[in-house]
Amino acid sequence: MTKLIINDREIEVRDGAMIIQAAAEAGVEIPHYCYHPDLPVDGNCRMCLVDVEKMPKLTPACATTVAEGMVVRTNNERVKEAVRGVLEFLLVNHPVDCPVCDQAGECRLQDYYMVYGLHTSEIPLEMKVRKRKVIDLGPMVVLDTERCVLCSRCVRFCDHVTGTGELQFFGRGDHVEIGTFEDRPILNPYSGNVVDICPVGALTSRDFRFKCRVWFLHSTDSVCAGCSTGCNVRIDHRDGTIFRVIPRRNVDVNKSWLCDEGRMSFHEVSKGDRVKFPLIKGRDGMQAPAEWSEAVTVAHSGLKEAARKYGPVSVLGLASASATNEALFLFKRYLAEQLGAELLEFRLDSEDTRVLEREDDVLRRLDKHPNAKGALMLGLTSERLGGVEGAISEARAGRIKAAVVTYYGPLVRRDSDELAEAKIAELIDALEYSVVLAAHKAEWQAKANVVLPVTAWTEEEGTYTNYQGRVQAVGKALHAPGDSLPAWSIFAALLEAAGDKSIWLSAADVLSTIAQAAPEFANLDLNAVKWPGSVAG
Amino acid sequence: MKKASKVINVSDRAGRESSFTKEVLGPLVGMKLTISRMAQNLTGQISPTISYPEERRRYSDRYRGAHILTARQDGTPRCVACYMCATACPADCIYIEPGQHPDPLIEKFPTRFEIDMLRCVFCGYCVEACPEEAIIMSRQSEICALARDETVWGIERLMRRPELKEFGLGFRPNDKLVDSALAVTPKVKQAEKMAGRITLKENVEMIPHVTFDPSPD
Repeated sequence: MTKLIINDREIEVRDGAMIIQAAAEAGVEIPHYCYHPDLPVDGNCRMCLVDVEKMPKLTPACATTVAEGMVVRTNNERVKEAVRGVLEFLLVNHPVDCPVCDQAGECRLQDYYMVYGLHTSEIPLEMKVRKRKVIDLGPMVVLDTERCVLCSRCVRFCDHVTGTGELQFFGRGDHVEIGTFEDRPILNPYSGNVVDICPVGALTSRDFRFKCRVWFLHSTDSVCAGCSTGCNVRIDHRDGTIFRVIPRRNVDVNKSWLCDEGRMSFHEVSKGDRVKFPLIKGRDGMQAPAEWSEAVTVAHSGLKEAARKYGPVSVLGLASASATNEALFLFKRYLAEQLGAELLEFRLDSEDTRVLEREDDVLRRLDKHPNAKGALMLGLTSERLGGVEGAISEARAGRIKAAVVTYYGPLVRRDSDELAEAKIAELIDALEYSVVLAAHKAEWQAKANVVLPVTAWTEEEGTYTNYQGRVQAVGKALHAPGDSLPAWSIFAALLEAAGDKSIWLSAADVLSTIAQAAPEFANLDLNAVKWPGSVAG
Repeated sequence: MKKASKVINVSDRAGRESSFTKEVLGPLVGMKLTISRMAQNLTGQISPTISYPEERRRYSDRYRGAHILTARQDGTPRCVACYMCATACPADCIYIEPGQHPDPLIEKFPTRFEIDMLRCVFCGYCVEACPEEAIIMSRQSEICALARDETVWGIERLMRRPELKEFGLGFRPNDKLVDSALAVTPKVKQAEKMAGRITLKENVEMIPHVTFDPSPD
């Protein structure tokens, strides 16, 4: 550890840290454009200049390693004057088109101008160097070269994180522009990140373009449900509509990044028709909407009846790797304790092995479910069945008569999705009695005896366990459509109908029960679940 | 004797000094203005009442009446859909939907811009917030409609304003950007322009989007 003094405060940081990191730990903000904690240091923007005692000139805080006994000042007149000058230079050719710029409201140029600048521009607008605007850089990015401060964050991202190297500087002097060769699109699967890391409005999102001014948005912290990596995200929404999903920094999971598929996955939730009300199949074979109390009673008595008639071995529980830990835990509790079911399964397509397999070297994993690890840890696999195929053949052979089936549509699409859905349809076809929990409508649900509407990702609170075994909290950004309820509360209602005396008022209640009752989650840190996640088991 | 006495008898003195001039003419002289005004009113020479709507008062140049969306020289709205007005609006009565403009120097324009005139409180904050002088106010105070949905004014209604011939421009913080000659009475020949739309003055260089012509390279 190294001791140094920043603004008369003595602080201790790890050896080899940069001054800017030490200052951040001490709560001192040093303005910067090019420095990014998850990218190599470049030191080109000169905004982070600080005064270090016994150094003749000001030095960039992002590129100076701390030393024992160093005395740093970030707020004296010399520093302020320098930073003001740097900012004035950065703004010399800036077009000041904030009214049409999507970055306005979260722009570092605006923020730092208000704190450090407040100068009058010496360059009239018509004398500024004009550059190209509105350049289409593929499905995720729109480039405006005029607004760029040439910090090279995006260049370094493409060089060092994805290794694809699409972006580069072109030209010399004040005509330098950022760009791709012949304006070719940036097609790497992480291209959306360059928009997030751009401190100004040079790179803006194509999907979010002109959708909403950022100051109208409300934010909810959550976790991406696109694959088993479990990247931390922030959901920005307004009036019941999600406008964008952007990464939250979590060094242990996703650093500051998010893949494009995960970024776009929120569109899947609003696609297609939702199951809005509980449906019960009548004597005529048609499903009719019903009240929750009735649906829960019917579902429970139907399952109980099947368990009595054919024995508990004939009842199958098919969980989903997209359900929260809370839902899975109560699902298991209901089926195993109240119905005596032994066959619990969640695998549709060998999720247990794919959960750890990487799709590429950055973030993505092959298993496109957020909580396969959680289902594995809760023991929702059956060796006898070995997956949903086993359940289908057992059901065909007449050994499985009834089932509770939970199914969420995948948020990141792959070709095998239709196959997985076809398997569930096949299973329900072969059953005598089935209770289906689903968020989106599908044809195969028509054969189920009871369909219960569940909330989808972004509409419920809960936790997912990612591939590392890290339990992370998911937030509720929107109200669920119709009467749909979180899956955990449906199982809580079924448990109540079955005579279980426990009461859970929220997903957090269920999680504390999990921490007490499930040995796999015994060392769960309930405080860390919100952030940065707690590695259980 | 008088000097020695410190008591002054007021009624004595009043009686001694009273006369016809003081008692009757005095008040009449004092009420000269009142009486003459009354006479003028009775004979119709002056009147505080006007025969509205045939006659109208001229409101102040800062009057905050129905809004106007100003136009570029080609007739399209100057609005760039930046939402500053909607952000500033305390009545939440402005609804905007932006679109992508084919000209990269304009970039953004409103495909829908609606003001709910029934919700509007005519505070003028939208005008003050506008960075492009795209929304200003007129002196039009009569906003009548036969149906409720007619009171939600869209882009067309806010831009094409033949009735402004009669009312003129109202609150607009920056005169230079909008032709102020139009603000005077309809008799001025300039006002003919106003029948169609508000036109721009020449000194629009201040707004980069309007006049800047980037070199073709």
